[in-house]
Amino acid sequence: MSWFLLLLQTSLRNIFSSFLNVVIGLIILAGTFFFVVGGSLVDSMDKAMSRSIIGSVAGNCQVYEASSQDSPAIFDNWQIPDLDPIPDFSKIKGPLMSDPNVSAVVPEGVNTAIVVYGNTIDQVLEKLRKAVSPGTRQPQAVVDSLKAHVRQMVSVIQADMGKVNQVAATGAFDPQAGEDLKKASSDEFWNGFDRDPFNHLEFLENKIAYLIPDSDQIFLSYVGTDLDAYRKAFDRMEIVDGQMVPPGHRGLLLSKYVYEEMFKLKSAHRLDQIHEALTEKNKKIAKDPDLQDLVKQNRLETREIVLQLDPLSSQKAVSILQATLNSKETGLSELLSVFFDTDDSNFEARYKVFYDQLAPLVELYRLKPGELLTIKAYTKSGSVEAVNVKVYGTFQFKGLEKSGLAGGLSLMDLMSFRDLYGYVTPDKIAETKSLEKAAGVTFVPRDQAEADLFGGSASSDVEQGQQKAINDKAEMGGGAKVQRVDLTQQVYSQDEIDKGVVMGAAILLKDPSRLKETLKSLQDTCDKDGLDLKVIDWQKAAGNLGQFVFVAKAILYFATFIIFVVALVIINNAVVMATLQRVREIGTMRAIGARKSFVLSMVLTETVVLGLVFGTAGSALGSAFVVFLNHAGIPAANEFLYFFFSGPRLYPLLNSGSLVGAFIVVLVVTCVSALYPATMATRVSPIEAMASDE
Amino acid sequence: MAEIVSIQNVVKEYHLDKVVVPALRGVSLSVTQGDFLSIVGPSGSGKTTLLNLIGCVDVATSGTVLIDGHDTASLNDRQLTDLRLNTLGFIFQSFNLVPVLSVFQNVEFPLLLQRKFTKAERAGRVDELLEKVGLDKHTQHRPSELSGGQRQRVAIARALVTRPKIVLADEPTANLDSVTGENIIDLMKEMNRAEKTTFIFSTHDAKVMSHANSVIRLADGQILNGKGVPAGAH
Repeated sequence: MSWFLLLLQTSLRNIFSSFLNVVIGLIILAGTFFFVVGGSLVDSMDKAMSRSIIGSVAGNCQVYEASSQDSPAIFDNWQIPDLDPIPDFSKIKGPLMSDPNVSAVVPEGVNTAIVVYGNTIDQVLEKLRKAVSPGTRQPQAVVDSLKAHVRQMVSVIQADMGKVNQVAATGAFDPQAGEDLKKASSDEFWNGFDRDPFNHLEFLENKIAYLIPDSDQIFLSYVGTDLDAYRKAFDRMEIVDGQMVPPGHRGLLLSKYVYEEMFKLKSAHRLDQIHEALTEKNKKIAKDPDLQDLVKQNRLETREIVLQLDPLSSQKAVSILQATLNSKETGLSELLSVFFDTDDSNFEARYKVFYDQLAPLVELYRLKPGELLTIKAYTKSGSVEAVNVKVYGTFQFKGLEKSGLAGGLSLMDLMSFRDLYGYVTPDKIAETKSLEKAAGVTFVPRDQAEADLFGGSASSDVEQGQQKAINDKAEMGGGAKVQRVDLTQQVYSQDEIDKGVVMGAAILLKDPSRLKETLKSLQDTCDKDGLDLKVIDWQKAAGNLGQFVFVAKAILYFATFIIFVVALVIINNAVVMATLQRVREIGTMRAIGARKSFVLSMVLTETVVLGLVFGTAGSALGSAFVVFLNHAGIPAANEFLYFFFSGPRLYPLLNSGSLVGAFIVVLVVTCVSALYPATMATRVSPIEAMASDE
Repeated sequence: MAEIVSIQNVVKEYHLDKVVVPALRGVSLSVTQGDFLSIVGPSGSGKTTLLNLIGCVDVATSGTVLIDGHDTASLNDRQLTDLRLNTLGFIFQSFNLVPVLSVFQNVEFPLLLQRKFTKAERAGRVDELLEKVGLDKHTQHRPSELSGGQRQRVAIARALVTRPKIVLADEPTANLDSVTGENIIDLMKEMNRAEKTTFIFSTHDAKVMSHANSVIRLADGQILNGKGVPAGAH
């Protein structure tokens, strides 16, 4: 033992005896530091991101139809995977729930749809039409106000066109459009409006409305699911505006993120972004080109607000702006431009004025909870389906409020989802049946088609058909025969929701640490029951995103590998040099009776001790740094990191695996790199000791 | 007195590229236990080669070298190493102490390699020897903190700590001034008397040579004056 102690002591003393050793030590120190910090970061991010993925949509695992070409890729928003439908969810729910570790099975399917919006003038014209229509007649004051609003819009367009004509070549606009605008802005046109409102409205709708190109298409990604089951299973979900879709109802919950991003007044949203950057990220408009860009957009794009305001509100806005800016300018657009031209000194004050005084005059959101939204989606077969869904409110995932990834998906009830995906719901069947009945259409099986269609007295059939067609038109005009159920009021039982097509399902586990075993047992259950399902874990189900941590880990390990390979080469060289410097000493040891094995273990021990000393120092520094980061938190610089961090900051935890790993790597690297110089040292002849240094 | 070293017709040749350089050309020699033998001769005469052969750090090209009855030609590296450890002690011209070890640890080193003594036994021996060489006040010093003479004393203590039968010293005073050199030889002589340890040392210093009981004169790899001739005979 004392022999080994001698080795250790010699090693420890040798460490600082040579500059080379210090260089070797510092490389090892840097390597272990990097390994411990990197390992802990990646591990913490892995855990945080798994929380994000599991807690928002994916669950711990996902099942899908085994025959599908693709596998679920929940967060790959713009690439909907080609999944075959599972015909009846109720048939798979039971077997999956029978696993003791499964706490919930939630049907899910991801799809994207288009929401088309009419422009502002369309919306005002629609209000005006209602206000003058017999059934929905409004007081004259309301009608006058709407008329004034439309007239103001017309003048805004006229002014815009004037500007465009100044900069663009003559003829950039259809001269007819100029004539139409002139007509629509004339006193004569508006004086005659009340006498014949519908003709005037038609003129405005057909000739004027299209001149305001602010209509919008919104791409909406959504998860079609059993909303109640979803809410119970994913407890990070919380309602922000409006309310939860009542049990069994059709309805849409917009993600708060999408709601802000897509449905909020653009100027207001940009103000929010600047405000957040200034207050939460300590950025400065003066130094940040992105923020300068937002200011510039706000300065230039004031029309959305201008068009929204009727003359009375415009007047109010002008006086608010005049007071705030201490200006005598009377043009609303000009005032807004000046108002939005903010810098670091005046931003917060303007922000407050905007929300306290201007916001009440405008519609901050172009869609409010409780309103209907028409959603169009391409079905798998390529046709377009459209449904009207009531938007009940907005939701977000606790801790993931700022993440565009987690917030990219809205939630839709399963029935509407099935409609949009092109699957036949009981309502559709009922509607088709009633249509068939009303039209007198009968189902003709293909093999009997010839006999049914052409057998018997063909001529009378045709006659009857013609007769029917005419009758249909009459019936449609009457409008009462075909029953169209108001689907927004329809309430479905759990049974109806479950019995039907789903694209897949999320499975939540009671004990997530037993993911691997449960995956296997679930797959076994599916195979045994002949369910033709594939079960995958959350990481796979998340699509490319799930691979991110894998990639990050691969990069980390690769970088560490490179560092240590470089270290290995350098250490090897350095130990060779150190050994050459010590030929006399080693020869002496051999001469006075040290065996080769002693010399071998001496060089190895020295290098390993060197590695362990500096490795410990590196690990200690790394751990201290991780603890510091855990205190301070790493801010999520962008929304992707926000998702990976599962919140605004990542608080990394020291990963014992990284510590152990660092020591193993250090041991292996030092041993391997010392092996060659150590064998070289054993070849030093004792004669070297005799050589005089004269 | 028993014969401790016996050398018969030893030839040692070195190969430098394709040229064969003879270092020893048929040397025969016998050393009795307790001798204080000096090997002298000009540079290149084969002194160091002869010491290397006796010290078992090198093997002869032909002829036999018997050290304490062991034929070195028949031993493998490990056996030679053990023979060096247990039977021989070395004193080097440049002291060759381990720089990172203290005086005490340098002396203790061969005992640790032997692995047959307890800590107390080792400490007893080391302290005793350090006292004899007059360094009992310097046990914790590093070699770099000692003078040349002191370092050579440490080396002597290290060479003697295993109580070897033979101590070999290759020009032990060459790096020392004459007074210190004299002291070192006196110390070696004293050890030779007290412990009955055989000392074989090479030198080209006539003063040092005069302390020897016997002198072997080498020239061109051959012994000039027969074997083990008493110094007084010349």
